[in-house]
Amino acid sequence: MPTRYFKRLAGAAMVAALCGAGPAAALTVFACEPEWAALTRVLWPEAKVHVATHVGQDPHHIEARPALIAQLRQADLVVCTGGELEAGWLPVLQQRAGNPRAQDVFFAADQVKLIDPQPSAVGSPWAGDVHAHGNPHVHLDPRNLLSVANALAARLLTVLPGQQAVLEQRRQAFAQRWSGLLAQWGAQAAPLRGKTVAVQHASFGYLWHWLGMRPVADLEPKPGMPPTPGHLQRLLETLKTQPPMAVVIAVHQDARAGRWLSGQLGAAVPILVLPATVAENADGAALERWMQTLVSSLLQAAGSR
Amino acid sequence: MTQLAKSIPGREGSHRGASVRRFFGKAPCGWCIAWAPLLLTSVAQAQSPASWQWGAVLDVTHSTHSLAEGGRDRGLQLGHSDLMASGPVGSQLKAQVSAVFATHEGKLEKNIEEVWLETTRLPAGLQLRAGRFASQIGYLNQQHPHADDFVERPLLYRSFLGGHWNDDGLRVNWTAPTPFYLMLGAEVFGGKRLVEEAQEAAPRWGARTLSVKLGADFDRSNSWQLGWSQLYNRRQAVQEDHEEHEGEEGAHADHQQHGARFSGRRMSLVDLTWKWAPDGDGRHRQLRLGVEAAQISGIAGADEPGARHSAQAIALVWRWHSQWELGVRLDALRVRVAHEGELERAKLRERSLMLAYKPNHLQTVRLQYSSQGQAQGFDKPVRRALQIQYVLGFGAHPAHAY
Repeated sequence: MPTRYFKRLAGAAMVAALCGAGPAAALTVFACEPEWAALTRVLWPEAKVHVATHVGQDPHHIEARPALIAQLRQADLVVCTGGELEAGWLPVLQQRAGNPRAQDVFFAADQVKLIDPQPSAVGSPWAGDVHAHGNPHVHLDPRNLLSVANALAARLLTVLPGQQAVLEQRRQAFAQRWSGLLAQWGAQAAPLRGKTVAVQHASFGYLWHWLGMRPVADLEPKPGMPPTPGHLQRLLETLKTQPPMAVVIAVHQDARAGRWLSGQLGAAVPILVLPATVAENADGAALERWMQTLVSSLLQAAGSR
Repeated sequence: MTQLAKSIPGREGSHRGASVRRFFGKAPCGWCIAWAPLLLTSVAQAQSPASWQWGAVLDVTHSTHSLAEGGRDRGLQLGHSDLMASGPVGSQLKAQVSAVFATHEGKLEKNIEEVWLETTRLPAGLQLRAGRFASQIGYLNQQHPHADDFVERPLLYRSFLGGHWNDDGLRVNWTAPTPFYLMLGAEVFGGKRLVEEAQEAAPRWGARTLSVKLGADFDRSNSWQLGWSQLYNRRQAVQEDHEEHEGEEGAHADHQQHGARFSGRRMSLVDLTWKWAPDGDGRHRQLRLGVEAAQISGIAGADEPGARHSAQAIALVWRWHSQWELGVRLDALRVRVAHEGELERAKLRERSLMLAYKPNHLQTVRLQYSSQGQAQGFDKPVRRALQIQYVLGFGAHPAHAY
């Protein structure tokens, strides 16, 4: 009898020890996309950051894998895009992880004004994958990163009490550096203003918005639907008369349709396959390099005409 | 029940109560009804309209033949179609309600399949759920059937769990703070929706389950999950003679739909899922493998101690384009069937091949070819059956798990 009692006691103690392993000494952050992981590292490089997706994945379509549940279970703070981008997988992870700290997610899309809201298309199975509140890919307008960084610093302070001075100093340093870069990129990209592009999905919508460029054709017949031959043929007819500067697609998309269109339109319309985000281990410097790559690639395409 | 009835006085009230009872089916879920006013109030009070989500799914099939032990009628049928709502109730709870509509032998059946409340902010990875919900045993049981990769569930589910086992009960789960996914869970259920007619006065909590789930990424392209569960069933089914049973077509179909056809005191289930996608990008290419096996012991009326029911299923699905999937599944079932007072061996095999076209995440058109064979003790195995299924979703529908 006493042995049984002690066994039970030991078991209970073990469970308690495991349960009690709550927020560790270091901050653990679950970032849905690499850009938010990078921004978190800008403000709190000490954090242990789990990144749920990478540049080769479509963030709309992520498998709610067991490994992600385990990562969310350990998180002290969750930083995601929002605007329904992760609606297909984040709620499942939250439900399975059973982590109260993972319930109030920091959503970047809540910190900025979304472009292209489509309230009328809600819930219709024929409208395609439409985000009623607007385009969620907000990180592609670098101006948005300033507002998001400000809000994220405030949010980090709630999980890092007493670190106000450090956080504020890092936030200011980032804001200052990023504002300088914005001016620099703005000047560099001036020749791009008014230029047109053919795109696949609204992945780079904010980039066009920021640079004053115009997406005149979408390879997707409806948002989220892959290009069809008929749709491409129609696009080709209209684009022939007024060819765009380039066909731009994201690294995670299938490039075949874009290649075909670019090939049909001739050498004057190159295809640009651009990364829609940074690497998973990116920091502030990588964020800068990525944005510079986007601007430079577009300038190069503009110059080749 | 009483709460709702009190709020609606007079004759109209009793009438309304009766229709609620009809809607809930044979096993009225007392607390589900008691919660209805609470849920409605919280919906009305929900701060942000975006936080509560509503959706509907339509599932229509046409089959050339009805498979033995199958859940789909010959000809046109409304499958597992639902209306659902889910969202927060206050800051600590989440709720989900769903009503399911399906036709069976030409008759429309309505059922409240889910009414549950779940905690979202308990500490230490703990979660409680109460109400009517699908048990978490096995891999497929928690998933809504319209999200399946095949038109019919595996024989394992159709024969042992009535296709999809929802019941009234309580769940407690614990997710471990480990670098891999580890979940331990226990459930207690009334069990009336598993074994509808019990032999004697069955206990109030007729079914209990234990589950363990374990999973992780093998590398960037490969992920896996392993599940183990036990079902302890204290509701011993009324023993029905197989031939008599087969004779009554209507009763037979009804039985299949809502309760387990074969049961015993204890069921063990093991499930393994493995998914591969190049560099983790499953949008354009993905391979999914699912294996499930179950064994039931403690069969009523079995004198020999080793008498078991068992079933296995293995399914492989290949997505080669963001809109196209091809899948194959092999199913096996071995059971003991009561026949003229004795338990006789019976078995059935099934093979299915399916092709699915998914123009977007709200629509699926699926063509499936199934063939049953090596049958012993089953009267009507189907050599060849062609089934076509159309699934259409409206609004929001909670995403399905791994």
